[in-house]
Amino acid sequence: MDEEPERAKRWEGGYERTWEVLKEDESGSLKATVEEILFQSKRKRWEVFLFTSLGLGTMRHLFVVVDCSRSMDDQDLKPNRLTSTLKLLEKFVEEYFDQNPISQVGIITTKNKRAEKLTELAGNPSKHVSALRKAVDTVCLGEPSLYNALSLAVSTLKHMPGHTSREVLVVMSSLTTCDPNNIYELIKTLKELRVRVSVIGLSAEVRVCTVLTRETGGSYHVILDEGHFRELLQIHVKPPPSTSASDCSLIRMGFPQHIMVNVNERDAKPSFSMAHLDAVVGSGLSLGGYFCPQCSAKYTELPVECKVCGLTLVSAPHLARSFHHLFPLESFTERPLEGHPGHRSVRFCEACEGELRDKTVFECPSCSGVFCVDCDLFIHDTLHCCPLCIHRNSAT
Amino acid sequence: FRLNIDGLLVYFPYDYIYPEQYSYMLELKRTLDAKGHGVLEMPSGTGKTISLLSLIVAYQRAFPLEVTKLIYCSRTVPEIEKVVEELRKLMQFYTKETGETNNFLALALSSRKNLCIHPEVSSLRFGKEVDGKCHSMTASYIRAQRHSNPSLPTCRFYEEFNVVGRQVPLPAGIYNLDDLKDYGRRKGHCPYYTARYAILHANIVVYSYHYLLDPKIADLVSKELAKKSVVVFDEAHNIDNVCIDSMSVNITRRTLDRCQTNVETLHNTIQQIKETDAAKLKEEYRRLVEGLKEANVARETDVYLANPVLPDEILKEAVPGTIRTAEHFVGFLRRFMEYLKSRLRVQHVVQESAPQFLKDIYEKVCIDRKPLRFCAERLQSLLRTLEITDIADFSAVTLISNFATLVSTYSQGLTVFIHTLEYLTGTCKNFFVMCVSVAPQTLSPLDIYPRMLDFRPVTMASFTMTLARTCLCPLIVGRGNDQVALSSKFETREDFAVIRNYGNLLLEMSAIVPDGIVAFFTSYVYMENIVASWYEQGILENIQRNKLIFIETPDAAETSMALEKYQEACENGRGAILLSVARGKVSEGIDFVHHFGRAVVMFGVPYVYTQSRILKARLEYLRDHFQIRENDFLTFDAMRHAAQCVGRAIRGKTDYGLMVFADKRYARADKRGKLPRWIQEHLSEGSLNLTVDECVHMAKHFLRQMAQPFRQEDQLGLSLLTLEQLQSEEMLQKITQMAHQS
Repeated sequence: MDEEPERAKRWEGGYERTWEVLKEDESGSLKATVEEILFQSKRKRWEVFLFTSLGLGTMRHLFVVVDCSRSMDDQDLKPNRLTSTLKLLEKFVEEYFDQNPISQVGIITTKNKRAEKLTELAGNPSKHVSALRKAVDTVCLGEPSLYNALSLAVSTLKHMPGHTSREVLVVMSSLTTCDPNNIYELIKTLKELRVRVSVIGLSAEVRVCTVLTRETGGSYHVILDEGHFRELLQIHVKPPPSTSASDCSLIRMGFPQHIMVNVNERDAKPSFSMAHLDAVVGSGLSLGGYFCPQCSAKYTELPVECKVCGLTLVSAPHLARSFHHLFPLESFTERPLEGHPGHRSVRFCEACEGELRDKTVFECPSCSGVFCVDCDLFIHDTLHCCPLCIHRNSAT
Repeated sequence: FRLNIDGLLVYFPYDYIYPEQYSYMLELKRTLDAKGHGVLEMPSGTGKTISLLSLIVAYQRAFPLEVTKLIYCSRTVPEIEKVVEELRKLMQFYTKETGETNNFLALALSSRKNLCIHPEVSSLRFGKEVDGKCHSMTASYIRAQRHSNPSLPTCRFYEEFNVVGRQVPLPAGIYNLDDLKDYGRRKGHCPYYTARYAILHANIVVYSYHYLLDPKIADLVSKELAKKSVVVFDEAHNIDNVCIDSMSVNITRRTLDRCQTNVETLHNTIQQIKETDAAKLKEEYRRLVEGLKEANVARETDVYLANPVLPDEILKEAVPGTIRTAEHFVGFLRRFMEYLKSRLRVQHVVQESAPQFLKDIYEKVCIDRKPLRFCAERLQSLLRTLEITDIADFSAVTLISNFATLVSTYSQGLTVFIHTLEYLTGTCKNFFVMCVSVAPQTLSPLDIYPRMLDFRPVTMASFTMTLARTCLCPLIVGRGNDQVALSSKFETREDFAVIRNYGNLLLEMSAIVPDGIVAFFTSYVYMENIVASWYEQGILENIQRNKLIFIETPDAAETSMALEKYQEACENGRGAILLSVARGKVSEGIDFVHHFGRAVVMFGVPYVYTQSRILKARLEYLRDHFQIRENDFLTFDAMRHAAQCVGRAIRGKTDYGLMVFADKRYARADKRGKLPRWIQEHLSEGSLNLTVDECVHMAKHFLRQMAQPFRQEDQLGLSLLTLEQLQSEEMLQKITQMAHQS
């Protein structure tokens, strides 16, 4: 069934007897098995949370290293690996800023034994996205250099303050790397600087990446197909568990109000946004905007670092969205529906109030409310708080 | 944890057990109960050593009278050390569980080179030098001479051992080679002789094959081992070759030349002694009349090459008169040597059976069979009498006398070859002690071993790996992309198209397989041809863009250098290809764990060189005596080597690897059927006759699958069992089923 959608084209994969998975029950219906399969696929997503619900870092500095070597021309991802990767990365960057509004991203490409920065570490998604779009036409040639790419990333990351996370995500297509030096020395420095390196491999497991990720505490995955690739990138959208070693410090932040100015008003003067100073496209001339509380520079988008005084400007919802990473909702315990002690209401999900039909249900450990798998996913994915707990708190 | 194997309480030092280990122990127990031979095959990395040790130790404890000793024969020194480490773990577990210290004595034995602690001697590099030097210090007559002349060099460790070592037995415990050396240094005893003495009362002895199989050494070391021993040959897939090697003598013209000088020296020494010390020679003469038996007393250290398996009756007989006096014997040797020389002057290859050879020698130079049989023993006696210390010099003459004894003792199954360049004798006789339990990894098909070695096993089982994921992927590539049949058979060997397609295969694989690839060719010559032609076609250059290339050569030092660099390249992400040869050093002894061997490519079927005389004689012998057809044996031999090569890549359940058989002949049922069961199982119909492209595609898919995270929990209950799971009814049934299949 659709357990692993588009794992390979049907004619490429092995011979499967898909019909044997399905079994009729006494009444000759297939419903039970189909539901079972659907449940299993949902449960798989649920398992992902099990491993990530620890204290997470909120401010992230992430470098994405994109391999642009010869092997990116391979057409096992359509139309080729490079185009497919860049497209997925665009989406990744958007989602990344959605989930981590006060974090930053930079992009590095490596080919022909060299590494260069495509974009600097910055908090503006549109800049990255346009750079990624442009990169589609890059000619893929030579071999990548893991060493050069990492040391380039490190040279920037090591200046980042200690309370933020320093991360590198490598999208590695080639199976070899051409290094000017012993990479194991670099891995040691990475470890000392607490830079977390994760790798997504596009073809197979490479030893040096295994060591690299294991030593620096990152994750290493190899894609099966495009769908899987997307899922793997999704994992990196969520911030990694914060290391206890990272130090705490107070950061000054500005919370500018969006000031709307009506054109009809007397003192309405269009002004330039500071963010558009170096942008070539667009006039950047507008009426309203966010004004830095410290120096009154104008910006049209948040979050951003003030170009004039260096203050981090965010809006309250942004902070709230990153804030929940610090105190993640505990994962619910899975228990069988049958034999669950309790009253009549157990038969119904506490959130959607639908009847519980799957074999297992999920229980919140603090209020012991029972939820169905769909609601559990929704609560952990989007709500980040248990509705029943909140309900009870407000009642008392 | 504790296990109940068929009524026997077995302590197993790990928390988890593989199902095949359990069934392996069951089979082993049955073998021991029946007191018969057993042949058991198990894939590598499934923990055969520990299951074997824990069962036999348990058996020894339960029935101390039935089994007194375990002799574990392994191949290399690292292997031996590994076995001892496992054993140590087991014993620690025993002490922890039972709370009592048991008086088990287990030790490893190796050559003097690995055990010597004498400051000067141990610094020598070659085993032969160490032996010679040690001998020159410890031989009984040297030590006797020292009474009169105290300035002679001495080994204080041996002296110490000789004085007190025999009375103070080695305390119970587990000793590997380093432990023995430590013990020796502490006590001031010679570790080598301590170990050799201690194996007489040790419960477990771990040593090399040769100590048991090679009659020249076995006579010294293993003669006094008790009858009720369990003998285990690990990695026994080559056991027949080891047997043959140990019974073969190789004589070239150079040996004969050196022999000539040896004999001259002998002659001169005899003349000298005659003038100075005639009594000595007389004394020897008297001894020879009495028989050789007495000569065996107190010659522990006086070891030249001991004689090749003299039957007991020879030792009791008196030495024939013709060679009893020293001069006569020298003359006899000279005659024999001249005869050999004349025979070497042939222009074409001659093959003779032993009786033919003896008859010929009788007619030509009037040498009888009987004195020939005593030749080796007589030479030793002479060398001893003449007090010649440097035995390394006399290796040539010893070799010839050994040859004489061999050829006259074994009339059956021994063939004499006369090449234009060298003499060669081969024999297929073997001796087995009591219970042979073979635990190698590639032994299929099993039934050919008992037939070849002429013994009747009570149990014969092949185990497979139970896997939580299919971590091996055997593929048979039969065609190139242009549909040219790929094969290394003789007719197409030089075919340009085949070579090009082989090159393409390697090129494509190098682009998709991460880290290390090992490629095996059928012979050095074939490899050279192919690589040269790849170079001309520019294939090599293309491969080098993906991975570095290393090549195995017949030179050991060069090869180990290449191996080292190969591993380095795999380690730091550059990726490498090792081109090597089936039956070479790499294919036999080197493991390519995890990233060191993600894929093995087997170019062609590694048949032996079928035109070889020795092989022909051997085939004839097998056909006449054991009814094994030539073709069966050849295929069997080729497939076991192919399996051996390919098996290098997978060394455990968490490991994974591709196995590419690049020859269309592998797809045939008779070849495929001879692969070990654990490979056959994963060889589906769909992967039998692939083109290069199809192979690449399947490999890509496989590698991606395997790169997905794999945790121990996934294995639990499927290929890894806890005690509770093992005891469940369902699992027991499954295991018995597994055993029945085999």
